[in-house]
Amino acid sequence: MTKTYQYCVAENWGKGFIDHGESSKITFVGLPGNVWQVPAHNKNGNLWIAKVAGIVKTKDEAQAIVDTEVQAAQAAWDALPDAQKAPAIENITRPTDITLEE
Amino acid sequence: MATYKEKVGTAVVNFAGNYPGAVEGELWYDSTNKDFKYQFISPIGAWATGGNLNTGREKGASGGVSNSSALFAGGSPAPSGQTESYNGTSWTEVNDLNSDRDDLTGNGTQTSALIYGGGSTGKTELWNGTNWTEKNDLNTARNQMGGAGVDNTSALAFGGTPAAANTESWNGTNWTEVNDLNTGRNRVGGTGIITSALCVGGAPSPAYTESWNGTNWTEVGDLNSGRNAMGAAGVSNTAVLVFGGSGTSALTELWNGSSWTEVADLSQARDAGGSNGTTTSALFSGGNTSPTAATEEWSGTSTVTKVLTD
Repeated sequence: MTKTYQYCVAENWGKGFIDHGESSKITFVGLPGNVWQVPAHNKNGNLWIAKVAGIVKTKDEAQAIVDTEVQAAQAAWDALPDAQKAPAIENITRPTDITLEE
Repeated sequence: MATYKEKVGTAVVNFAGNYPGAVEGELWYDSTNKDFKYQFISPIGAWATGGNLNTGREKGASGGVSNSSALFAGGSPAPSGQTESYNGTSWTEVNDLNSDRDDLTGNGTQTSALIYGGGSTGKTELWNGTNWTEKNDLNTARNQMGGAGVDNTSALAFGGTPAAANTESWNGTNWTEVNDLNTGRNRVGGTGIITSALCVGGAPSPAYTESWNGTNWTEVGDLNSGRNAMGAAGVSNTAVLVFGGSGTSALTELWNGSSWTEVADLSQARDAGGSNGTTTSALFSGGNTSPTAATEEWSGTSTVTKVLTD
């Protein structure tokens, strides 16, 4: 199956990590665990990964990193007192699983 | 056939990398990457990462006129009074709020700002560019409100928890109750000025939009994607940008006074961040999840470098 996306791990250092020109050309999706999704087979995506010294991951490797982060957030949520989980108070919900795309 | 110099009036510059002196449309040769390139101004807005907050927080409040000038105060995980100032590149810690809290609301600039509500209080604090000073409280203590105003001399506070339809107007000294929202809700997106504001989304009516004309709220067009706890930027009820929101949304929508249009997404989905600016230059700071220290800068236009063979 042809890949639509590629994944890397890179820490967002702030200003200049993604600039407006890069963002105009491709779509970036930041995920838990410093995982970033950019288009596969794309020169601009490849250039950006090189710029940020991203560590390329397969989809399965990236999924495992994201799962670990999400599960930790879910465990933190589950440990909250029931009063803090009440939607009427915070309108926030338990972190949901994230499934990466090929 | 005429040469490039004869037609354009200049020779093609040979430069190692992106040529900083290029004018719009000018062609140059990038000797590093062996590409012919040119630059143009794209009318399509885009997000870029901004400087990270010194301390990651959510449920804070921010004010500022653009993506290069902002003040961010309060927030959690633990209710905080921490205040940081942004210069377009980095954040600097400045003097704290007098009362630590989260879910507070604010507006203004780096030199003249107002913070109100949050936690379980109606406390109001005024920023003069150096210090926060306590002023008269809201008539109804609440949190998770929307707010509008360009400095610390005038503001509009609306919605929130509890008393979710309440609207109050600040004249620099006191809060006065004015006409309520048509639909009470909290965690709204709010922006504008005291005579022209917009209240967007919120719970439990996440797509609703109401427009304030200085006297009354009127229901106008719904968001394409309903959500709450989103960021909002704009200085009137006819030009507003909203971004992010509950359900860890990355969506961005632009209001032109009559309808919402989806534009470029944030790179990191989140809610409950601080937001400020306009539809052409906005900033989204911090927020959930984690909470994060990341910020994103919106530019309504962007300079794009293209390779001829792209």
